[in-house]
Amino acid sequence: MGSVLEFESVTKEYRSFPARRHLRALDCFTLNVEAGEILGFLGPNGAGKSTAIHLAMGFMRPTSGSGRLLGERFGHAPTRRRVGFLAENVALYHRRAERLVRFYGALNGMRGSHLERRARQVLEMVGLQGDLNRNVGKFSRGMLQRVGLAEAMVNDPELLILDEPTSALDPLARVTVRELLLNARSAGKTIFLSSHLLSEVELVCDRVAVLHRGQLVRMGRTADLLQASAQTQIVARGITTAFLDGAVARDGIVSFSIPANQQRATMERVWSMGGEIVSVNPMRRSLEEVFLEVTAAPQSSDSEGVE
Amino acid sequence: MKPVLLIAINFVREQRWPIFVLLLWVLLLAFLGLVTDIRREREDLLFVFKQVAIYVVAFSIFFGGSAIYNERRSRRILGVLSKAVGRQRYLSGLVLGVTMAGAIYCFALGITGSWTLGEAGFPVSQIWYLMLCLVAACTLAGTVALTFSTFLNPFLAAGATAAVLLGLPALVGRALGPQWEYVIPVWPLAAKVVQASFDSPGGAAWFPLGLAAVETLAFWLLAARIFSYVDIAVAVE
Repeated sequence: MGSVLEFESVTKEYRSFPARRHLRALDCFTLNVEAGEILGFLGPNGAGKSTAIHLAMGFMRPTSGSGRLLGERFGHAPTRRRVGFLAENVALYHRRAERLVRFYGALNGMRGSHLERRARQVLEMVGLQGDLNRNVGKFSRGMLQRVGLAEAMVNDPELLILDEPTSALDPLARVTVRELLLNARSAGKTIFLSSHLLSEVELVCDRVAVLHRGQLVRMGRTADLLQASAQTQIVARGITTAFLDGAVARDGIVSFSIPANQQRATMERVWSMGGEIVSVNPMRRSLEEVFLEVTAAPQSSDSEGVE
Repeated sequence: MKPVLLIAINFVREQRWPIFVLLLWVLLLAFLGLVTDIRREREDLLFVFKQVAIYVVAFSIFFGGSAIYNERRSRRILGVLSKAVGRQRYLSGLVLGVTMAGAIYCFALGITGSWTLGEAGFPVSQIWYLMLCLVAACTLAGTVALTFSTFLNPFLAAGATAAVLLGLPALVGRALGPQWEYVIPVWPLAAKVVQASFDSPGGAAWFPLGLAAVETLAFWLLAARIFSYVDIAVAVE
C-alpha cells in the first residue's frame, strides 16, 4: 500500500510582527499515512496538529521541508478534488443544508442530478435527512459539524482529513460518525483523523500518531500501543493478600498484577497454596495512558496556541 | 470557469444587504422622478443622479477591501479553498463578484436614469456608455482594493486604494502632464459620469475602458501572486 499523505521533515514557524518572535509549530515533522487506513492524529492543545493539517490542505506553506497529498505537492488544487476536509471549527455560509452541500460539491466540479443525489445521500448519512431544507444558520453546533462532514464527503473522496469531527456531537451522533468512518475504510478510503476524544480514536483507528511540541513522539498500531504493557493481571480466590505485595482483596477475591514472564510460576504458586485462578488477563493500557505518558513533559511557551 | 462563477454569485449573495442599501439610492432617484416636477427640477435631478452614481465606486472599494478579510475571519475561506479551487481562481471569483455587484447597481441606475433624465428632457443616448464606464471603474477599484487586502486589513487596504486611485494619478499628472492622469483610470472613468453634460451628446472614448480592463488583469495577477504566499488559516485578528 502506498502513502496517500506524506510529511517530509516539515518545519513550520509563525513569525509575529513586529516583535519578531518565532513560534515553531512543527519541527522536522515526518509522517506517512498509508492508503486504506484510519490514522489517529493526537496531541495536546498547541501541539501543531491543525498546523499540519492546514499545511497538507495548502492553506499555508511550510518554512522548510515538503509534503505530498495523493502524490502531488501540498497546495496542488486539482488534487483536492479527491480529498474531503472538515475544519475544527466548522464555518458555513447561511443557506439551506442541501443547497450548501451542492455548492461545495459544485466547487469540486460535480454537476447535475449526480450532485443532487449525492448531496441528499451524504446528508442522510450524517442523520440530517429531515433538515435538508433548513437554513444552516439555525443549526446547533453539532448539526453544523454534521453538515461539515457531509460537505467533506460529497465528492466521495479517497482521503478524508478530519479535524475534530466529533467534538460537538452527542453520543448518538458520535456512533453514527464512527460507523460512517468504519464504512468509509471498508470502502477503501483513507482517513486522517485528528481528535481529542481518545476513546473514539481507540475504537476506530488502525494506527495512532502522537504529536507533542511540533514533533512526532509516538507512532504505531493502536493495538500494539495498547498492549505494550508487559504486565498480566491475575484474579484468584482461596488465597490472602499476603500472597503478593500490592494484591487487593474484595469479597474474597484477590487480584494482583505481575510481569508477564512470571505468569506461569505465579499461577503454580496459587494452586500449590490451595487457591483457584479466576482469570488471567494481559493488562491493556488505555490510549489515554499512552497519551499522558508521551505528553507528560511540560509545554514550552514557544508551542502555545499554534494549533 | 464554473467555480469562479459560483464564488462570484456567492460573494454577491453574501453582500446582498450592502447592495440592497445601495439600491435604495436608486429608489430615491426614482422617487424623485415620481414626486417632483421633473422639468423644473431637472438640474437637481441630474445632480442626484451623478451623486448616486459615484457611490458605487466607493462601495466597490469597500467590497474589494473587505472580501478576503471577512472570509478569513469567519473561516469560511477554508471550506472553499479545501475544494479543487486554486487561489488564483478564488480571487477571480471575488473580482467577478465585485464586478457583478457594481453591474447590478449600474443596471438599476441605468434603467432609472434613462427614465427620470429622459422625462426631464435630457438626451439619454449616452447613459449606457456611462454605466459601462462606471462598471469598469468599480471593477478596477475593487481589484486594487482586493490586491491590498491580501496583506492589509480592510481599513488600511481602503486607504491604500484611495491613495493609489486618486493620489497616484494626481501626482503623476502634475509631474508628467495631464494625459498621465489616466495612469490608473478610475477617476477619469468616474469623471465621465460626474462631468457628463446630457445636453450635448459627447463621443464615447474607449481608451480608458480598455486601459481599465488591462489594469484590472494586472492587479488581479499581482493579487494572486501575493495571495499565494499568505497563510490563510492564521487568524486575521
